[in-house]
Amino acid sequence: MTRLVARLGYFARTALRGLAASPIPSGVAVATIATTLLLVGALALLIGNMQGLLDRVADDLRVTAYLADGLSDAARATLIDRARELPGVESVTLVTKEEALRRFRAGAGGRSGLLEGLEENPLPASLELGLAAPARSAEGLRRTSAALAALPGVSQVASSQDWVDGYVRAVDLLRAVGAVLGGVLGLAALLIVANTIRLAVYARRDELEILALVGASRAVVGIPFLLEGALQGTAGGALALGLLYGLFRLSLPALGHELELVLGFAAPRFLPPLGMLALVGAGTALGLLGSLLSLVGGRPR
Amino acid sequence: MRAGRRTAEGPGTGEAPIRLYHVSKSYQAGAYALRDVTLEVGKGELVFLTGPSGAGKTSLLRLLFAAERPSEGQILVLGRHVGELRAAAVAALRRRVGVVFQDFKLLPRRTVEENVRLALDVAGTPPREARARAFEMLKQVGLQHRRHQHPLALSGGEQQRVAIARALVNEPEILLADEPTGNLDRDLTFEIMDLVASAATRGTTVLVATHDRSLLERYRRRTLRLEGGHLVQDLPAARPRA
Repeated sequence: MTRLVARLGYFARTALRGLAASPIPSGVAVATIATTLLLVGALALLIGNMQGLLDRVADDLRVTAYLADGLSDAARATLIDRARELPGVESVTLVTKEEALRRFRAGAGGRSGLLEGLEENPLPASLELGLAAPARSAEGLRRTSAALAALPGVSQVASSQDWVDGYVRAVDLLRAVGAVLGGVLGLAALLIVANTIRLAVYARRDELEILALVGASRAVVGIPFLLEGALQGTAGGALALGLLYGLFRLSLPALGHELELVLGFAAPRFLPPLGMLALVGAGTALGLLGSLLSLVGGRPR
Repeated sequence: MRAGRRTAEGPGTGEAPIRLYHVSKSYQAGAYALRDVTLEVGKGELVFLTGPSGAGKTSLLRLLFAAERPSEGQILVLGRHVGELRAAAVAALRRRVGVVFQDFKLLPRRTVEENVRLALDVAGTPPREARARAFEMLKQVGLQHRRHQHPLALSGGEQQRVAIARALVNEPEILLADEPTGNLDRDLTFEIMDLVASAATRGTTVLVATHDRSLLERYRRRTLRLEGGHLVQDLPAARPRA
């Protein structure tokens, strides 16, 4: 145990000494990782918020089936029963013609007089179907709408399927852009970190030779370099997180209107704790992988 | 040449820590740095390896600490076939073999104490113990008061004493020294050589490559002479002159 602690202490001291010995290449590696993760993090933030809006909207997703005029009470009751039995349907609420008119008046405000003078209520009765959680998606809307439209006594079906479809496509597109951009930038960062560590290995070849002479194993020589890469990556990740948060706070007032268009009326949220951890962790992984890459090929015997 | 020789003098007992059987080393086809060398060095022996520049002294030492593999023949160091060792086993072997070079090979950015501790640190020795042992070793070479200085602030002789302290701090079974006094003046030469020789009195097998005849004259220990890669002479130890 004491020996293990001693080894860990040695690795940490050597890694920190290595970083201090090459501040400029280390700084470049940290900045590269930070830039990469800032862009990826910004995309993740946007995607996360759009997805969040989708989730919130999904809770209120409804399919409305307008009923044909003159439907008998018995036929209406049968229709309600059959609608209840459709897969994915959680609730069915009947909105009578009178209720529809009342809602119109309540919602129309100053324009409620539009319907004044008409002899009879032109608004149709309808069924409002609430969906169970698994069916709250564009696909669920599509399936329920199609099944409803096929029922006798339904004259028209309306849902927010088109809007949801378009929004989901936008989120998917952004996710794909994020994956490609993250992949390309991640690879670039990986190569830069690998080359930085390779330079450090080259600059310290005399030291490595002496370490090998006194019996340092490959692990004892290599682990401080891996640790260096991991520290650079973690610093890059933390820097990216800090910058992202700063930009998020600063840009909110300036971009309020534009964000409202994309995110609806939902207030933008910063990355969740797990997301923040993932961003810093991605930096650590990038640094670790980069230094591992630089050490492939070994050292002199 | 005395092939298959056991320990030549008093301290040696049991299997010899260094054994070479028909060892050749060539870096390019037909050009041999060592040719068909067979020898043994016993436990606690102090042996000089001598010969002109290019005779193969350094090549022989490099083979012994597994920096090179032999082209032909077998080398056993502390019972291990060094030509067949994997990287981890090479590292383990080197923790039992101290090496001293003419150019000291100290880390300029580390203090004297850190340089000496290096062999202990890489072996995972707890820091407190490593510090204590490094201090004790530096005391033996008379440099405990300079432990916080950096090597470049020291004279050549002092730097070599640090290198010897580093080589001996983990009590190796073998000490290899390649021209350890090559960069030093006469007085320092004997001072350093006395330190190296003292390791043999504690049971360490010591092999010193040198072309300094004054050392051979003064210590009169077993002397192996290499010429053109061949072991041409194996002189036994003689009684030191009065």
